[in-house]
This record gives sequence, C-alpha cells and structure tokens, in this order.
Amino acid sequence: MSDSIRKIVAAVVTIGLAVVVVVGLVQGDRTDEDRARSIGSRVKCPVCQGVAIADSPSETARAMMDVVEERIADGWSDRQIIDYFSERYTDSIVIDPPFSGNTLLVWLLPILAVVAGFFMIFSRRKTPVPKTDEVKQ
Amino acid sequence: MNATLGYLSILAAVVGALGITVRGFIAMRDPERANKGYLGLPVILFLSGAVGAIFFLELGLLTDDFSIKYIANNSSSTTPFLFKFASGWASLEGSIVLWGLVLAGFTFAVYARFFRSQTGDRLAAGALAIMGLISLYFFGLMATISDPFARCVQTFSDGVGCVTGENAILANVISSPIEGRGANALLQNHWLMALHPPTLYVGYVGLSVPFAFAISALILRTTGADWLTRTRNWTVFAWMFLTAGIVLGGLWSYEVLGWGGYWAWDPVENASFMPWLVATAFLHSSVVQARRGMLQSWNFVLVITTFALTILGTFLTRSGVIVSVHSFSQSAIGPALLIFLVVVLLGSLGLFATRAHTIASSPRLDSLSSREGVFLFNNLLLTVFAFMVLTGTLYPLFVEAFSNSTVGVGRPFFDRMAIPLSFLLLLAMGIGPVSPYRAASARVVWERIRWPFRVALGAAALAVVFGYGNSFLLLGVLTAVFVMGVIIHNLYNSAGIRAGKLGIGRRQAAVRIMRGDPHYWGGQISHLGVAILALGIAFSANLSETATISIDAGDTVNFAGFEVTYEEAFSRQEPGRFVTGADITVTREGSVVGKYQPRLNQYGNTRESIATPEVDTMFTGDLYLSLRSIDPSTVVLEVYWFPFIWLIWVGGFLAAAAGVWGFAVKKPERSIVPDDTRV
Repeated sequence: MSDSIRKIVAAVVTIGLAVVVVVGLVQGDRTDEDRARSIGSRVKCPVCQGVAIADSPSETARAMMDVVEERIADGWSDRQIIDYFSERYTDSIVIDPPFSGNTLLVWLLPILAVVAGFFMIFSRRKTPVPKTDEVKQ
Repeated sequence: MNATLGYLSILAAVVGALGITVRGFIAMRDPERANKGYLGLPVILFLSGAVGAIFFLELGLLTDDFSIKYIANNSSSTTPFLFKFASGWASLEGSIVLWGLVLAGFTFAVYARFFRSQTGDRLAAGALAIMGLISLYFFGLMATISDPFARCVQTFSDGVGCVTGENAILANVISSPIEGRGANALLQNHWLMALHPPTLYVGYVGLSVPFAFAISALILRTTGADWLTRTRNWTVFAWMFLTAGIVLGGLWSYEVLGWGGYWAWDPVENASFMPWLVATAFLHSSVVQARRGMLQSWNFVLVITTFALTILGTFLTRSGVIVSVHSFSQSAIGPALLIFLVVVLLGSLGLFATRAHTIASSPRLDSLSSREGVFLFNNLLLTVFAFMVLTGTLYPLFVEAFSNSTVGVGRPFFDRMAIPLSFLLLLAMGIGPVSPYRAASARVVWERIRWPFRVALGAAALAVVFGYGNSFLLLGVLTAVFVMGVIIHNLYNSAGIRAGKLGIGRRQAAVRIMRGDPHYWGGQISHLGVAILALGIAFSANLSETATISIDAGDTVNFAGFEVTYEEAFSRQEPGRFVTGADITVTREGSVVGKYQPRLNQYGNTRESIATPEVDTMFTGDLYLSLRSIDPSTVVLEVYWFPFIWLIWVGGFLAAAAGVWGFAVKKPERSIVPDDTRV
C-alpha cells in the first residue's frame, strides 16, 4: 500500500469511528431508570443526614423514590417532580441549588473563576514568536 | 499515672517546639549555628514528648485506664484490641495527638535530612522554625482546650463513661468510671478505619514541609527554585499518602456503610479533596518552575493555599461547624482552629506580599500551545476545581450565617461541575505529556496522539455498537483510553527508537527510559492510575444495577442475571457486638457463585445497628449485598451490581504508589538521558 493510500484509509477509519461515537453520544437517550436516579439524587432524604433519596436505604427515601418512578411513568417532567417535592417539604428538600435567588452565586463563582483564570493566562502571553519547534525529536 | 505522664509529655513537646522555633529563627540569621548540635536538643525533646503523648494514650487505652476522660468515652474493656488501639485517634482529642506525632516525625525527618553534615543551612533552619511554630500551636491545643489526658472528675450516673474532666495535674477529686462507653461503632465495624485516618494525616501533615520551606525562602528572600526542588520529594511523599488516604476513605465508605457508594461530596470528603487538588496543581506547576523558571509567585500561592486548606479541612471536620454554624460555638477547638487558619493566611500572604518584589518575574510564555501551556491549563482546571468544591462546601454555611434560611448544595451541584472539569483534565493529561516545551506545533502533537486517539475512538465506538449509549460512559471511555494509549504508545515508541540505537531489546530499552527520568515516568504511571480510576468510575456509575428485594425464607429472586436465595437467618454474640445476619446463596445459571452473610451489627453502646454489606469482587464486577431488615421468614436486601468497580481502587492506589518511582528510583549515573529522547 502506498503512503498516500494508507493516509486516506487512516483518515476514513478515524472519521468513521468518530461518526459512530458522535451518533452514540447524540442518541444516548436517558432511560426512565436514569431519570429516576437523577431526580432522586437531587432530592434530600428528609429523615437522613444530607443524603439524597436515591442514595438512602431508609424507608422514607424508598417510598419517595417510588413516587418519583410513578410520576415518571405518568409522564411528568423532571421539573414538575422536583417542584412537587419542594411544595410538600419546602425548598430545602432540594439538594440541587437552583440557578437563581440566593444560590445563584454558588453557580456563578466557579464560572467567574474560570473566566478570571483564562484572563490571567492570556494576559501573560507575549506577542506570538516565530514558530520554533523544539529540537526535532 | 498515664494521665500525668502523658500530660507531662505534652508539656515537654511544647517546650521542645518552642525551642525549635527560637533556635530555628536564630540559626536562620546565623548560619554558624544552623547545625545538628545547636538544633538537636529541642528536636529530640519535641520528638520524645510527641512519642510519649501517644505512648501513654495507647497504654491507657490498652490497660483500660478509665480515669482518663477520653478513654472512658472512646473505649471499653470489651473493645477488641485493634479497635482499642485505633481509638487513640478515633475522636477529637486523640486525633490531635496523632496529628502531633506525625508533625514531630516530619520535623525530625527535616532535621535529620538537612543537617546531616553539620553545615549551615539557613533555609532548612528557617523551615524547622516554621515547623516549630506549627507544632507549638498543636501541642498548645493539647495542653489547653483539647487535653487528651484530662482526668475524669464526674462520671455518668451509671458509672459508664465520663461527663467532665480536668487537667491531670490540677484535678484533685478524681472519679474513675467503672466502664468505658466503647469505641465508635462505625470505627469498630471495619479494620480500614484503623488505617484510613493515619494515612490521611501523613499526607495532610507532610504538606507542611513544603509550606515551611516556602515561608523560610520568603523570609530569607531566596525565592528561586531552591526551596522547591529541595522539598520536591517531600511534596510527592505527602501527596502519595494524601491520595492513598482519600482512596482508602472511599473504599471504607463502600465496604462499610452499605449504601453502595464511595464518594458523596460530603463536607468531610471535600475537606480532604481540596488540599489534594491544590497539591496536585502544585506538583505540576513546580515542574514548570524547575524546568523553565516560570510560575515562581504562583508556586508560593499554591503551597500556601494547600497548607491553609489542610487547616481549613481540620477546622471543618473537627469544629462541628458542618452540622450547623450554630453548633460551632459549642466546641472550643473550632474557634481556635479558625483563628489559626486566619493567622496562617494573613501571615503567609502578608509575607508573600512584602517579598513579592524579590521574586523574579517569570519569563514570558512563548506560546500557549506548548507543554507549559498545557500545564497552565491543568493548573487552571485544578484550582478552579478546588475553588468550586470550596464554594459548594462553604456556601450553605454562609447563607445560614447571614440570612437565617438554609440552602442545600449537594451532590448534583458537585457532579455537574466536576464532570466537565474531569473530562478536560483527562484531555490535558493525554495531550500535555507529549507536547514539546516552548512551542508545540499541531502537527507534532497530532503525530504523537493520533494512534492513541484512534484506539480510544475505537473503544468508544465498540461501546456504541454493543448498545451502551450513555454519553458519560462514552466520554469516560474515550478520554480514559486516550490517556492510557498516549502513555503506552509514548513508551513503546521511544523504547523502539532507543532499542534500535543501542541494539538492545525493546523491553530493556523501556526500563532504561523509565529509569532515566523517574520524575516524568513516575508522573506517567500516576496518570495511568488516574485513567484506570476514571474508567472504573465511568463503568460503575453508568452501568450499575440496583434493586431492593424482599425474599421469603427458602425462596429465590432474580437480579441482574443472578439467582439470590435466602437460606436462613442467624444471630450470634461476637466480642463487643451482637450480629444478626442472613445466609444468602447466589447462583448464576444454576452454578453457585457464592454464599454470603450480609449482617447487621449492634454495638453495646448504641441503639441503631450498623449494616455490614457483603461485597464479592469478581473480574467483571462487584456483587454487593446490603441487609436492610430481617426476620426469620423474610429478608429485605439492597442488592447492587457494579461492573468493574475494582478499577477505581486499583487505579487510585496505582496513582498514589507511582510517587515511589519519582523518588525511590535513582537515575543511573552513567547515562544522562537527553530530554529529547523522552518522546
């Protein structure tokens, strides 16, 4: 096989694999089980210490998980189910801090840190130098 | 007797620490005195005091000396030997004694290592002085508000345990309880609990060594790379133990707590994870300074932050502030630790500010697409990661303190933030180590990563073909396999080139290459461990199965391809605990996989029972059985199937152990390996 053919084959294979992976990523639909787990991990178990209902073996938590599963089967959205719990048990039942109100900052601070960090890195950089590849290896 | 001698040991250690501080600072100004003889006496006194303190505490524990309040409340005559011993650090006062012992060990090691040849080493003398100051604080705590040897002056009405204690020397009316209240039930439940705290402490306390050297360098205005290269192995050593301690904690949580998890972003876990993140950032950025003279100021910031975070972690876990800011005032040690934290931060950052002009300004970065560039990116990710964990951990406390309302910041927040950061870190881990310094052209880097990249794509595509479409799983496989591939490909390739040049076998060449640059290859083995760990997390988090099953005696229930049969219930008295459990037989397609006994343990001193899950680790995964409730006719089990979860432990311990390669392997002297053969 000549060099150029090999290159083409390699490129095609790489792109082909990438397509399969991307399709997998896009199609990866959440099952009801995944959804129940993800909702359950956002709701605090009211009788435990700081554990989500998805992670607690207590009976209350199990019963609440059953409620989550029933609601999913009934076609409720994640948001609706979470709201249902926060209405019944007050907002502090939700471990997941909402992106608003007095928990807005907890989301914003790390994001601001990233921005500040990038700013620092880029401000350190001097004007681009002519490309001198390191000693050829 | 134990109490008096123990307390006197603490006083001796206080005097020793004071002596180290004073003489250390004098020797720092006067190199004539920076030698073994001048500093020896206080160091030996300090070490003897610290060893004495733990010795008399352990002696008291093992001989059931309940006249000591700590022992009366944390041990009992029926506690098994190992757990009596481990009770020495199970509770607040004892854990500070252990902390002090480790600190004394490191102080002695610094002394012994740096004053070996009687030379005047001002930097090391200053570092010793700083360690003396830190020691003075911790032993001061033990001598006052956190006295492990307080004599019991009032027992509980039933004579079991102790209500109040007083200083061993000053107490006059001593009333000795007839029995101790026993060790913490969770501690007694598994031997890992005897191992996890000391390991973590060696990591925590070890990080005070680079801190002490950094502060000494700042005071002396010798802010070059000297302090950094000289403490490098100490940092790696501490980091190894910190890593192993965290992994052990996860393993303990998984094996003991029976909830099937190993990490919950609990504040106590975060307290150990934050210094780990910043210490890891420091390990990487110190390479940049050592090689390219960059990031000098940044390294001071990182090392100070790491140390401050270890103190913050101690404060968070030891002050009661985590349960609620309102319980904080009940413990005297909380405010004391908080003041220490503020002093450390203000003192060291203030010093840093006054010395900033002496720190050489970094040579500028040639290009962002270079090894240095990736290092910067890595540092950004790790510090933002630490900052995110810090924010999430402290945020509820601040809200509660200032606004009367409570908010929850739990696992979903941390997960959502940590997952993208982790993927980016893995990506940097793959690309960074094969990027050239100064300027890396895309072509050169692509040449070095294209094969690993294709293999990783292939692995992920295979997962898709087999129907595992979960996006976290796919990204996890993609990045983790990529990192592993880059490391292996890199070694394989350069070994091939070397083998051709020298006419030796590829394997021999690979060993030579790895020995030729132990720091780099130690790091690469560690990366391999992290990638394996990431794969373990990706598999077990995304492919696990769980169910709560209720089985009648003699019946069988199917779960994840297994048949689970409840044979019968059993109960028995064991030393210090009463055990109730179920005999469970598990088969797969008729052949027996194993017989298991998930149990509930009831310790004498506690009402609630603690579950001991049965974990059977097979090659393809763990079968995890946790008992929820049992009576002779029915058992309720929490069953889990975690595919390949053992990769987490293997990867985690490999990442920790890899540090050994970094400083135990000596560069062969005859072959100075030129850097460019590395890739």
